[in-house]
Amino acid sequence: MKDRISQLMDGELDDRAAAELIGRIGRGDEALETWRLYHLVSDSMRESRALSAGFSARLAERLAAEPTVLAPQRARSESRTWFALSAAASLAAVALVGWLAFAPQQGAAPQLARTATPQVEAQAAPAPAMAPSAANDYLLAHQGFSPRVSIQGMAPYVRTVSEQREPRK
Amino acid sequence: MMLGRALGFSAVLCAGIAQAQSPEALAWLRRIQDATHRLSYTGTFVYQNGSRSETSRITRYVDASGDIEKVEVMDGVPREIVRTRDAVRCYLPEARVVKVEHPLDRSAMAERGFPSFLPERINELAKHYDIALGPNERVAGFDCRTLTLKPKDELRYGHTLYADANSAMLLKAATLGPQGELIEQFMFTQLVIGGVSRDKVRPRHVAQSWRVEDSAAAPASFPGWGLSSELPGFRKVAELKRRVGDAGPVGQMVYSDGLAAVSVFIAPMEGRRDPAPAGLASVGAIHIYTRQVANHMVTVVGEAPAASVQRIANSVEFRRP
Repeated sequence: MKDRISQLMDGELDDRAAAELIGRIGRGDEALETWRLYHLVSDSMRESRALSAGFSARLAERLAAEPTVLAPQRARSESRTWFALSAAASLAAVALVGWLAFAPQQGAAPQLARTATPQVEAQAAPAPAMAPSAANDYLLAHQGFSPRVSIQGMAPYVRTVSEQREPRK
Repeated sequence: MMLGRALGFSAVLCAGIAQAQSPEALAWLRRIQDATHRLSYTGTFVYQNGSRSETSRITRYVDASGDIEKVEVMDGVPREIVRTRDAVRCYLPEARVVKVEHPLDRSAMAERGFPSFLPERINELAKHYDIALGPNERVAGFDCRTLTLKPKDELRYGHTLYADANSAMLLKAATLGPQGELIEQFMFTQLVIGGVSRDKVRPRHVAQSWRVEDSAAAPASFPGWGLSSELPGFRKVAELKRRVGDAGPVGQMVYSDGLAAVSVFIAPMEGRRDPAPAGLASVGAIHIYTRQVANHMVTVVGEAPAASVQRIANSVEFRRP
């Protein structure tokens, strides 16, 4: 449906399809929200200053609700963060949004998290924290960035955490 | 003329004393790197760490369009890794999975000193390691020059490299701990240089119906994330977003001193089935350390002593930008 609203805005729908979609928008369901959102994005991309009052909050909510966005569902109080983003609500900025997943939730105390426990953790139990397969995924992800590859070729890639072999079926 | 030569000689001598390494040793490091990129070969090598040893076959094919390299692990869980110009593919036949790593844009990487050393990076290495030539030794039937890289502090491992005196091909590489103890070792038991045809580097597996796990790596930046104190000599050389295994998106920041590299992975905790406890795991010279920072799981992977990897992990912080 989002595609169709986008087509409608670009005048690409034929009369019948357009009439049907406009009807849905008129009924005020999700289509209306999408229609409103798309216009706001389009306005802001054209640097129109007439953004409506609740723009940033709504944009934030919609983006947070997007199934494809990588961000976890976030608290309402986060919308201040989003406002800074929406000031430059170009598509590039929208693409960045997923990466706010790397910004911790409001209320997290990073400094505390950093200083409170490291000494204890430094002596943490030697038990591997992750399954061998997960550790191997991280090893693979790391190897390509090791300068050793440039003097040793691919040999270092054989390093893996031993895995239990599943019996052949 | 005489004066010039004498001056030149003393300059070399001074540089040698100042950095405790001979230009000849640095030249050998470059020759090894060059050979690694230039030669076609096929051989068998043993990877050893502690009591564990594993045999693998490696084949490298070079032509004008680039190079292809294939490694097959012969012991334990079967694995085959094939690197082509644009990707590294890791085939796991028992799980019927192909893991695909796409290197970032090569030119961008080269600017930052990857994937290969640049001359200035080799000079940088000399800041953290004493690099010297050692006695000749035989490995797998080849007369080898030995090259020692002795770290100037305990933040990194030492290395002894054995390279064929003629071709400079690396025959053996040993990683050493602070007391000179062997941490891990790669050693060819058999090697033939040259005479490789292209079909020798094709993957053994068709892998058509296998699950593909693509890293989907792309440059990125993570405002707010960083290290409260960097490890001396390690600087950030790459920053990207990617997938690791079949998990969701992960941020990766790579720090390197020119020889050792440490990756910091940052993954949101939300949606994770298992809360990841802090802990340390290791494979030979690589240590993996996980801890939680500001609602994210931080996983640090690096070929450096456990204390270095932990130090980096413990300095990972998030400051609201």
